[in-house]
Amino acid sequence: MPLWIYYSLLVIVLWGVVGLLQKLGANRISSRSLVIWLTVGYLLLVPVLWTAGIGALAPRDILLGVLSGFTNGLGAWYLFASLEAGAKASIAVPLTALYPLVTVVLAIVILAERLTPLQWIGVSTAIIAGAMVSYETGEPQKGP
Amino acid sequence: MPKWLRYALLCIFWWGVFGLLAKLGSDKISPADMQVLFTGGMLPLAVAAFVTGGNKIDTDRLGVTYGVLIGVLAGLGSLAFFAAMAHGKASIVGPVTSLFPLLTVILAVTVLKERMNRVQLAGIVLALIAIAVLSV
Repeated sequence: MPLWIYYSLLVIVLWGVVGLLQKLGANRISSRSLVIWLTVGYLLLVPVLWTAGIGALAPRDILLGVLSGFTNGLGAWYLFASLEAGAKASIAVPLTALYPLVTVVLAIVILAERLTPLQWIGVSTAIIAGAMVSYETGEPQKGP
Repeated sequence: MPKWLRYALLCIFWWGVFGLLAKLGSDKISPADMQVLFTGGMLPLAVAAFVTGGNKIDTDRLGVTYGVLIGVLAGLGSLAFFAAMAHGKASIVGPVTSLFPLLTVILAVTVLKERMNRVQLAGIVLALIAIAVLSV
């Protein structure tokens, strides 16, 4: 199996656990406070990760990295805003799960990536599956 | 267009752009450097969250613990995301990594004893098929 798949599975595991923790923490602090505390969590990793030093990096790459964090946070911001504006979570969350569609279009148009027919089937299936898995109905159910 | 829909579409757009920027950056610099810079990009939003929240932060101890833990795990997750982007195509890594709710649903069923509906169950099956097809 290609190397990217192992990293991607690791992403699914880590972000999947994050989703569970969000369910657990959601009723305890506001979404704004969550953004602040999760940023503290990100900051805790920085001393561990900081090796090269920003000075060793090209300005273009610094900009790309910073903008990746900003756009990721901005997306989450708009999801919260959508829910605050009265969106049903059972509609808005599966809808926003379609975001890879935009990445696919940009990768094909801007990066000139090309997919085989089988990969197209896999990519389409994955995007649909992501929306379906995110489709939570009804009120949160408590365990016994 | 209702406000909530416009915001949801903006969410889709910015998360989609995030995938492209992650690919462009990860092709050049290490996942660790990307994650440090990514954190820098989050800072203005954390400040905005503080200001628009009326300069208040909730300090419920368990809530804070979850929040910080979410940040650490999400940060480690995005390290892996940048590594995946460095080794694969954005048009494949984007859709595959977006399947993370798959695990959240399974954990919610096993840990929180939540029920999963038929759409989610079918989604899990489709997600596994997609991963199998793409990992060939």
